[in-house]
Amino acid sequence: MNRLKLLKEQDAKAFVAYIMAGDGGLEKLSEQVLYLQKAGVTAIEIGIPFSDPVADGPTIEAAGNRALKAGVTLEKVLKEMASWTFEVEVPLLIMTYLNPVISYGVERFAKECKKARVSGVIIPDLPYEHRQLAQAFLKKEDVALIQLVTLTTTEKRLEAILQEAEGFVYAVTVTGITGARDQISEDVRTFTRKVREKSPVPVYAGFGISKVQHVDMLREDVDGFIVGSAIVEAFRNQTIEEIEPLIQAVTAPHSV
Amino acid sequence: MTKVKICGLMEERHVEAAKEADAIGFVFAPSKRRVSIERAAELAKHAPVSAEKIGVFVNASIEEIEETVEKVPLTMVQLHGDEPDELVQEIKVPVIQAFSIRGKEDVARLENSVADFVLVDAPGTDYRGGSGHVFDWTLLEEAEIEASRLILAGGLNAENVKAAVHQTGPYMVDVSSGVETDGRKDEVKIQQFIQQAKGDSMQQTADKTGFFGKYGGQFVPETLMKAVKELEDAYMEAKGDPAFKEEYHHYLSEYVGREQPLTFAKRLTEAWGGPKVYLKREDLNHTGAHKINNAIGQALLAMRMGKRKIVAETGAGQHGVATATICALFDLECVIFMGEEDIKRQQLNVFRMKLLGAKVESVTKGSSTLKDAVNEALRYWVTNVEDTHYLIGSALGPHPFPTMVRDFQSVIGEETKRQIVQHEGRLPDTVLACVGGGSNAIGMFYPFLKDESVRLIGVEASGEGLDTEKHAATMTKGTEGVLHGAFMKLLQTDAGQVLEAHSISAGLDYPGIGPEHAYLADIGRVKYESITDQEALEAVVSFSRLEGIIPALESAHAIAQAEKTAKTMGKDEILVICVSGRGDKDMATYAERLEGLS
Ligand SMILES: Cc1ncc(COP(=O)(O)O)c(C=O)c1O
Repeated sequence: MNRLKLLKEQDAKAFVAYIMAGDGGLEKLSEQVLYLQKAGVTAIEIGIPFSDPVADGPTIEAAGNRALKAGVTLEKVLKEMASWTFEVEVPLLIMTYLNPVISYGVERFAKECKKARVSGVIIPDLPYEHRQLAQAFLKKEDVALIQLVTLTTTEKRLEAILQEAEGFVYAVTVTGITGARDQISEDVRTFTRKVREKSPVPVYAGFGISKVQHVDMLREDVDGFIVGSAIVEAFRNQTIEEIEPLIQAVTAPHSV
Repeated sequence: MTKVKICGLMEERHVEAAKEADAIGFVFAPSKRRVSIERAAELAKHAPVSAEKIGVFVNASIEEIEETVEKVPLTMVQLHGDEPDELVQEIKVPVIQAFSIRGKEDVARLENSVADFVLVDAPGTDYRGGSGHVFDWTLLEEAEIEASRLILAGGLNAENVKAAVHQTGPYMVDVSSGVETDGRKDEVKIQQFIQQAKGDSMQQTADKTGFFGKYGGQFVPETLMKAVKELEDAYMEAKGDPAFKEEYHHYLSEYVGREQPLTFAKRLTEAWGGPKVYLKREDLNHTGAHKINNAIGQALLAMRMGKRKIVAETGAGQHGVATATICALFDLECVIFMGEEDIKRQQLNVFRMKLLGAKVESVTKGSSTLKDAVNEALRYWVTNVEDTHYLIGSALGPHPFPTMVRDFQSVIGEETKRQIVQHEGRLPDTVLACVGGGSNAIGMFYPFLKDESVRLIGVEASGEGLDTEKHAATMTKGTEGVLHGAFMKLLQTDAGQVLEAHSISAGLDYPGIGPEHAYLADIGRVKYESITDQEALEAVVSFSRLEGIIPALESAHAIAQAEKTAKTMGKDEILVICVSGRGDKDMATYAERLEGLS
C-alpha cells in the first residue's frame, strides 16, 4: 500500500525534508536519507536537478547545478534508490521538473518510481490542467501525483484540485520561488486555513519555511511543513544538526 | 471532473475539433472506423501532447498491440474481445477493458477485471462493443467498482451525457457515434459533447486551447496559472474589441512608422539570376526590428489589464530596447533581464535601454544568455505576478503568449500579402524568414498558411556547423520537451537537461523553438533550413553592397538561405525575404569579424 495513505492517520504535525539528489555526489544520498529518518522526519522529498529550475530560488538552483556537474540524472537517482538494501521507514517523494521525465519516458518513470519505492511525485511545472500527461501512468503503479496550490490559485481551481488530491496537498506559502525567508505573510494563514477546510487529504505548507517562528505561526492551520532550502544549505555547510530543533518544533506533541 | 474520450477518429479536422477532450481513440479492429498504424500516427500529431491516445483492439495478439503502441505511439490500450487476464497484464501501458452490459451477470464479470480501467457499453453490433445503444445505467449502481476506474460508453450524446455523468460519476465518458452525422464525425457535435460532459464550471480550466497539434500548453508553476489564465481571457476579450485593434494600429502607423515597404531588390535579383526578389522592410521600424510590433500590442494589453509594471527578457537587446521604448512612451515601470554574456556582446543596446529609463538586470546563472534571462524573468514574474506583466519577446512561452505574439507580428505577413498582389498581381512562390524563437517568421508566415502554393522556409542558425556542438539548430537537431511553459522542440541532453545554444547572432541563440513552428514542421507546411555564422556574415557583406541595406545578423541568415533557394527557382518566380532588422546593433561584431574588409 502506498505509504502516503498512512499519513492521514497521524496526529502529530508532519515534517517533510527536501534534499537535492547528488549535491556533493550521488553516494551522499543514502547517508542523507538515513540521517533524516533517524532525526525523525515524516517523509523525504528527493529533488532531481534540472538545467532550468524556474520555480526555485538561488539555494536550490545552486545545489542542482552542483549535482548536474557531478553527472546526476533522473535515471541514476532512481537506480540508486532501487538499489538500497537498508530499511526505508518513511515515504519517499520525487520532486522533478517535467522535462527530465518526458525525456526519460513518463511510463518508464512511473515504473521505476515504483521499483525505487517512491510513494509520490511532485512536478512543479505540470499544472492540474495537464495532469493526464502523467497521472494515468503513475496511478497504474500506485504512485501519487501530489498537487500544489498557491495563494494565487482561484477558488474554482482550488475546488477541482482538492477533489483529486492524493497523498497530501502542497500549499505554497509564498507568491514566489523557493528559498529561505525571514517573514511569512499573514495572508498565508487565511489561505492555509481555507485549503485545510476543503481538503480531503493533509495540507503541508512549503516554500520559505526555515524557522521555528514560521512553524509557530502556521501550526494550527496546516498538517505539516516542507522544508527545502534550509536543509539543502545545512547539508552543504555540514551543519545539519542545527536543523534538528526545527524538526522537533514541528513533530513534537504540542499543547497550547 | 469527468474526462472525455472521443473515439473512432479518422480525419485531422476531427482530431483538431477534439482538442479539448482528454483522450482520443483510434480503432485498429475491423470496423468502419478502422485506421492503419501509419494513419493513426499521422492523426496523433494533431492532438495535444497531454491528451491520451487510446488504441481499440479486439482479440489482437500482444505483438500487434505492442507494435501499435510503439509506432503511433499510444498511451493506453482498450480491449473489446475475450482477452485473457495474462494478456491484459502483459500490456505495458494502462489498459481499459470493455464489457457489454446486458444484465447483472455482466456486471459481475466487470468487477473481476484485472485492467486499470473498465469500460461499460451496451451490447454491440459494430466492432463488438460500440453499438451506440444505451444500456441501463442503473445496473451499475450496485456494482462493486470504484468510480475512478469506470469509463462509460454506449449511446452517449450531447443531450444525455450530463445525466449519465450525474448518475454514475465515472472517470471518463467515451463517445463515437453520438458525435457523428451520417456516419461521419461532426466537429460541432464533438465540441458540444465535450462542453456538456464537462459542464461550464470547469470549462475554462480544462481546455486544451493553446496547443498547436501536440505542441504548446501551459506548463508553468501553479503560482502563474492565474496570471496566464487572466491573460488568456484578457487577450481574447481585447482581440474581439475593434477599439483595441484601432489603438494598436494607430501606434503602429504613428509611432513605429508602418506600413513598411515591400522593396523590389533589383540588383540582388540580377546577381542571383533567379526569381524576382522582394524584401519586407522590418528594418525600417522605429528601434530597428520587428520586435516593437509585439511590444506595443502587449503593453497596450497590460495597461488594459491595469498592470503598469513590465518585465522582459532580451538576448540581442532588440526586444529589450523595443520594450524599454514602449515603457517610456506609456510611462510604465520596466525591468529587463539580460544574460551577462549578451550584455558584453551588446553594450550599445544595454546603454540604449538605460537611457530609455529601464532597469537592466544582469543574469550570471547557467550560460548567462537568453535562456537564463527567460528563467530569471519568469522567476521575477512569479514573485510579482499580481501587478506585473511579462512581456515575452518571441512566439514562445505558455499559452496565450505564442498565439498573442503571432497575432501582433502578423501585421508583417498581412502587409506583405497585400503589397505583393499590388506589385505582381499574385502571391509569391517562396517566403523566407529567420527563426530564433520564431516571432518574425510566424508573423510573416501566418497569413500565408492557407495559401498552399506559397512555399514557406524558416531559417535557423547552425553556428559553427551542425556537426559541432556550437549551433542553435533546434528544428534540425532538437527533440521534444518542455521549456519555459511550452511543449516544443529543444536542444537537450539524453537526460532532458537543456543545452546552451550557439550563434554569432544573439537573437537566434535560443535552444528552443516556438510551439507553432514545431507543429508546422511536423505537418510539413513549413520547411526549416539552417545557415552557419560564416554564411550569414558573407550575406551581410553582399547584401549591404548590392542593396545598400546593412541587415541584422539574424536577418542575414534568411538572406543567405534565400540565395541558396533562389538557385533552384526560375526567373518567372517570386521570392520574398523578411528583413527582420537592421544591422546597427551588430556593428561591433561586424567590425571585429569582418576586419580587413576591402
Ligand atoms: C532583428 C532580429 N531578427 C530576428 C530575431 C529572432 O527572433 P524571432 O525568431 O522571435 O523573430 C531577433 C531577436 O532578437 C532580432 O533582433
